[in-house]
Amino acid sequence: MRKILLGLLSLLSLVVCLLSAVGYFLGKLQASEYKLVFLVASLGWFVFATLWAKHRKT
Amino acid sequence: MAGSRLSSLASRMDKLYEFDREPVLAEKLQSGGRFAGLFAGEHVAATEFVIGAFFVLHGVTAKDLILGLLIGNLLAVLCWTFVCAPIAARTRLTLYWYLRKIAGPGLALIYNLANAILYCILAGAMIAVSATAVGLAFRIKTPSLNDVLPSSLGWVVLTLAIGSLFLILAILGFEKLSRFAEVCSPWVFVVFIAGAAAMLPRLGVHPSLDNFWGIAIAKIWNGLAVAGQDKFGFWHIVFFAWFCNLAMHVGLSDMALFRYARRWTYGLYSAFGMYPGHMLAWICSGIMVAAVGREMNPGLMAFEAAGLAGAAGVLIAGWTTANPTLYRAGLALQTITPNWPRWKVTLAAGLATTVLSCFPVFFMRLLDYVAIYGLVLMPVGAIVFAEHWLFPLFKLEQYRAEKRGWLLNWRALAVWAGTLVVCLLLPLHLFFRWLPGYFIALVSYTLLSAIGRK
Repeated sequence: MRKILLGLLSLLSLVVCLLSAVGYFLGKLQASEYKLVFLVASLGWFVFATLWAKHRKT
Repeated sequence: MAGSRLSSLASRMDKLYEFDREPVLAEKLQSGGRFAGLFAGEHVAATEFVIGAFFVLHGVTAKDLILGLLIGNLLAVLCWTFVCAPIAARTRLTLYWYLRKIAGPGLALIYNLANAILYCILAGAMIAVSATAVGLAFRIKTPSLNDVLPSSLGWVVLTLAIGSLFLILAILGFEKLSRFAEVCSPWVFVVFIAGAAAMLPRLGVHPSLDNFWGIAIAKIWNGLAVAGQDKFGFWHIVFFAWFCNLAMHVGLSDMALFRYARRWTYGLYSAFGMYPGHMLAWICSGIMVAAVGREMNPGLMAFEAAGLAGAAGVLIAGWTTANPTLYRAGLALQTITPNWPRWKVTLAAGLATTVLSCFPVFFMRLLDYVAIYGLVLMPVGAIVFAEHWLFPLFKLEQYRAEKRGWLLNWRALAVWAGTLVVCLLLPLHLFFRWLPGYFIALVSYTLLSAIGRK
């Protein structure tokens, strides 16, 4: 269960990274907002994906 | 004396590769999905930030780029499928052990050393790419396109510092770090896509994308090369995409991967690396460089496109490419350093790499370097291909080096060296030389071996 949750959170982080860029392209986000969201989602990816990878190995 | 030295080096090399001496067993074969994942992860690297950007600087038109990448990458996938994977699936051996049977341990050793030197230069270029990202924080100027020697003391200090950091990480724990590197590649791919999307408004692309093609042909791939760069056309792109991994497919070093394939058709899975990494990522980096005024500075490109995370993307992409490259270079060099532990060999390879990274020529002439890298190792692939497929066809005896205990197959060495000399003299652009060279190596090795038999 935890493995699935971590996998979903990892993928969600990547989707947020992409959506923030799309939001900026469409004019829905300011440049500073987009870069902040992208940074936070990137950190999320590294945390969740690292834990997910650890679970997959075990 | 030289012979006994070579023999001793070769036997040390054999011990290093002992673990994969036997053909892969049936129960160890891997699924196709595993190959798709491997290729997808391996081909989105720091080099992609530079290569796609260089296409813009070389004045490629949008139509030539897209058609060229579609066809060139298809040719690369076909080479993995019809050249590399069938030999690997039949022999279940790495190139090292198969080459040893064909050309003797001496030539396998020379091949490994050549590979090690080429790896060090490649890792050096990756350190330089990472340095462009870190340099932004310290306002260190990136070298210009035509620089050969380091342009400033700041650049030297920066590359030495980053090279040393990568080296320490490589020495401290390759395995754990390589697991972390696996986590990085999907995110690095997202940095490319998001960065390009975020740069489109700066180029004047409307949210509806209705003027995208017009902007692409007028402001990005507009057919105008920047000063000092050759003009590239359709065939340059086709050939570059084709030979970008020449040492791996035609040069057969990916036999190490495909010996685990259930079927030779698994070569088709290389498309999962080629089209996202060597097409989409190159297109994205082209968009990014156009948006920063065609300045070859991957760190700046990514920072402008995605802020701190973008600059971190360049740093991480450089590191995840340089780290395994350093490891492979160390492994190859271990033969000539008797009784040295792995950390010491990695240190030696890393120091050489770090010094090389100070010289911007390897990073600023990356396209030429990639061409030379493939060209140097390509004749070995031709020799192995000839021995595997053509020798049985012409009823020539295979694996004479192994059967007669030769230390070195002089015919193979002569064909390798001779092909490189011919390629050097061919009046063609560097990108196009490998193809005639491959057929020259194929024919000359078969003929020399046939003459030798009589």
